Amino acid sequence: MSGAVEQHPSGDAVRTPKLAPQSARSRLARFGVPIALAGMTVLAAATIPEFLSPANLTTILLHVSINAVLALGMTFVIVTAGIDLSVGSIVALCGVLAAKTLTSATLLGAVGPLGAAALAVAVGFGVGAGVGALNGSAVAYLRVAPFIVTLATMTIARGTARLVTGGIPVGYPDPGAPAYGAKVAALDVLHSLGGGRIPLPGLPGGFPVPALVMIGVVSVGAFVLKRTRFGRYVYAVGGNEEASRLSGVPVPHVKLSVYAISGACSGLAAVLLLGQLRSGGPDAGTFYELNAIAAAVIGGTSLLGGTGSAWGTLVGALLLGVLNNALDLLGVQAFWQEIAKGVIILLAVLFDVWVTRTSAATATK
Amino acid sequence: MPLLSLRDITKRYPGVAALDAVSLDVEAGMVHALVGENGAGKSTLLKILAGAERADSGVIELSGETLRLATPRDALRRGVTVIYQEFALVPSLGADANIFLGMEPMRAGLLDGAAARRDAGRALAELGAAFDPSTPVTLLSTAERQLVELARALVRDARVIALDEPTAALSSRETAHLFVQVRRMAERGLGVIFVSHRLEEVRALSSRITILRDGRRVWTGETAGIDDATLIRHMVGRDVEYERLSRGPDDRLKPEAAGNATSDEVLQVRGLTRRPRFEDVSFALRRGEIVGLAGLVGAGRTEMARCLAGVDPWEDGEVLLHGRPFRPLSPGDAIARGVAYLPEDRKTQGLVLGISVRENTTLPVLRRFVRRGALDFAAERRAAAEYLGYVGLATATLERPAATLSGGNQQKVVLAKWLLANADVLIVDEPTRGVDVGAKIDIHRHLRGLADKGKAVLVISSELPEVLALSDRLIVLREGRVSATFDAVDATPERVLAAALPGGRAA
Repeated sequence: MSGAVEQHPSGDAVRTPKLAPQSARSRLARFGVPIALAGMTVLAAATIPEFLSPANLTTILLHVSINAVLALGMTFVIVTAGIDLSVGSIVALCGVLAAKTLTSATLLGAVGPLGAAALAVAVGFGVGAGVGALNGSAVAYLRVAPFIVTLATMTIARGTARLVTGGIPVGYPDPGAPAYGAKVAALDVLHSLGGGRIPLPGLPGGFPVPALVMIGVVSVGAFVLKRTRFGRYVYAVGGNEEASRLSGVPVPHVKLSVYAISGACSGLAAVLLLGQLRSGGPDAGTFYELNAIAAAVIGGTSLLGGTGSAWGTLVGALLLGVLNNALDLLGVQAFWQEIAKGVIILLAVLFDVWVTRTSAATATK
Repeated sequence: MPLLSLRDITKRYPGVAALDAVSLDVEAGMVHALVGENGAGKSTLLKILAGAERADSGVIELSGETLRLATPRDALRRGVTVIYQEFALVPSLGADANIFLGMEPMRAGLLDGAAARRDAGRALAELGAAFDPSTPVTLLSTAERQLVELARALVRDARVIALDEPTAALSSRETAHLFVQVRRMAERGLGVIFVSHRLEEVRALSSRITILRDGRRVWTGETAGIDDATLIRHMVGRDVEYERLSRGPDDRLKPEAAGNATSDEVLQVRGLTRRPRFEDVSFALRRGEIVGLAGLVGAGRTEMARCLAGVDPWEDGEVLLHGRPFRPLSPGDAIARGVAYLPEDRKTQGLVLGISVRENTTLPVLRRFVRRGALDFAAERRAAAEYLGYVGLATATLERPAATLSGGNQQKVVLAKWLLANADVLIVDEPTRGVDVGAKIDIHRHLRGLADKGKAVLVISSELPEVLALSDRLIVLREGRVSATFDAVDATPERVLAAALPGGRAA
């Protein structure tokens, strides 16, 4: 037992002035995952020579970025004690619709490659937010369990993506196809977003644009969660929906919004993926929802709602990325990598349970 | 030799002694009351008895035999049952399955549902329960759930039963029924420990009393040998009774110059109806006035308050706020228009326990602290600190999770939150439930202070002395209808109770 205890069971909070504002354990709870990430990085750097090279580090960031964007949206949802299983399917649906927009010969003729790329981004983002809002309406107004709603959306969105494409990826045109040059140009425009790099002195290859997008999205997410009224409502609804409602919090509006945010993040991730691969496939994004949930949970978001943070989720996503990268470099079989990821998720949750239990034991009644 | 004997039980949490060498003897066939303010150590003692916590030192003996209670299962096996305020029942399972939970009757390696139903039914019938033993607990009322807990103790051949505030959520009829059953169990030779804040119940049920204060036993003796004033003095270490804060028509805030009587009426309720909860309820709230809403649990008081607060819709009738039609679409809408509601259960309705005291306090009025799209933490903190300080909470509590505060302090946070909302009409539902006497008086004063600032306050309380001490006028609801209204000077406990009891006549 540590010496600092928040509250004895029956006592009066005000009469215990000696307590430290933050116990050692709550500090550990806050920094446990960043410490784990740091530890893993140090370990990888010590054992794998090429790990710390700028090229490898930027590769990790690039690989992490799509999952981090999805996990950020997921964090909003999970903090309200919800879940969004439709994320991966929305990525596929937005991806194929954006790709169709991008490579539409008529559109390219009318607005050119740059205009088509802008429209494609808008389509991806808009469709994602729209589907997310549908999820949110069903959860908020029809009061269907989030798991069921988003499970249904998961298969509906996937099916729709396959339906509109006939199951074939949309993207790089065959040579000789109508408007071949314009299509390639449009794909190139989007590639500068999803796969582009910004040249930096001393960084061979430059800094990946998606990583920049990731940092931007997480920063905005952190600001919204911590500094805005809406963010406060997200935590309040997840912590106690009834008390929030009685305090005048517009609970249905908050719930609808978090699913719309998660959908919008999926749309954004779809655009990044489309740019990166120069192709939008109906089978893209499979299991992405699970990786997003994993990142959020490792980052300290409780599935029970009420806790979690944007930066924590980023750290969770980075931890998964570093793990994958290190095992890759070590030449560990992919199968083992999956097992390692599962173990990490379990450890993170056990750590969370341990922290919650030991601090709750001193704070009941 | 006493049936159950606790000797020198000591329990320390880092920095504080929750129990300091407390001894308690319970005789077979007797009801022993355990009283004390919140934080006196009653709950800790019960937890130790239930095997949920371990004492640092001390001995527990049952019929002279030393008990070692490491887990709740040990306690149950030895015949010690503790029934908590929050029941230990699985809501989705039937009463019978709950009664036999952990000791299911088996036949040929399978559950014997018929036997469970039969034996549970027998135990429930003995307790005067009139529902089918297979009824899922979620469909049962609080009183019925209590009978399920008692039946569970019966089928386990309990020898000692401890009841923690069993009447907190019961109507007086249900309470009377519970008392009959508890007395019968005592007559069968069980030892009963009865924890309650309500002294009249302690008197009605117990033959001995032990008073705890700050983790120490301060008095033990015959119930008949102590009067209420002495008892309360022992509990709080000082003399207290509810300060009478009600006002006659003459001391109330005067209507504004040249104003007529109706302009003074902030809220007018006319024929409000939501069947089957309440019907045709009419009354008015004036500024500067505290109106008490009395009645039994289930008389429709909370349900009506929830309608006024925009939580539930009403079917029929109209409400005027400042003379204009008022039909709130949501609690947020009601708050924005100046009607606030302090709900009855602080843990499930009043607070978000996981977030900080500051964040709880400002939740209804967060809009005020938005500067250019972002929250102005400094302004938020200032406002929260001001109102928390006003209700007597130290600034040090500002950033702590609400869950870490004691019940009384949590209730003060809820109060500060609604004071900050600065509503014209404040409806408070059981504002002092589970709060110690000192904190109660503080809360009463704050409500009076609010009225003196020109607000209208509607107080719902099941504690009659509280409503009487606080209200300028009293409205009594009986089975969903207004059965009587009183001015403070005319209201006596007898008259109010007579109006509240079903079948009673309005005085």
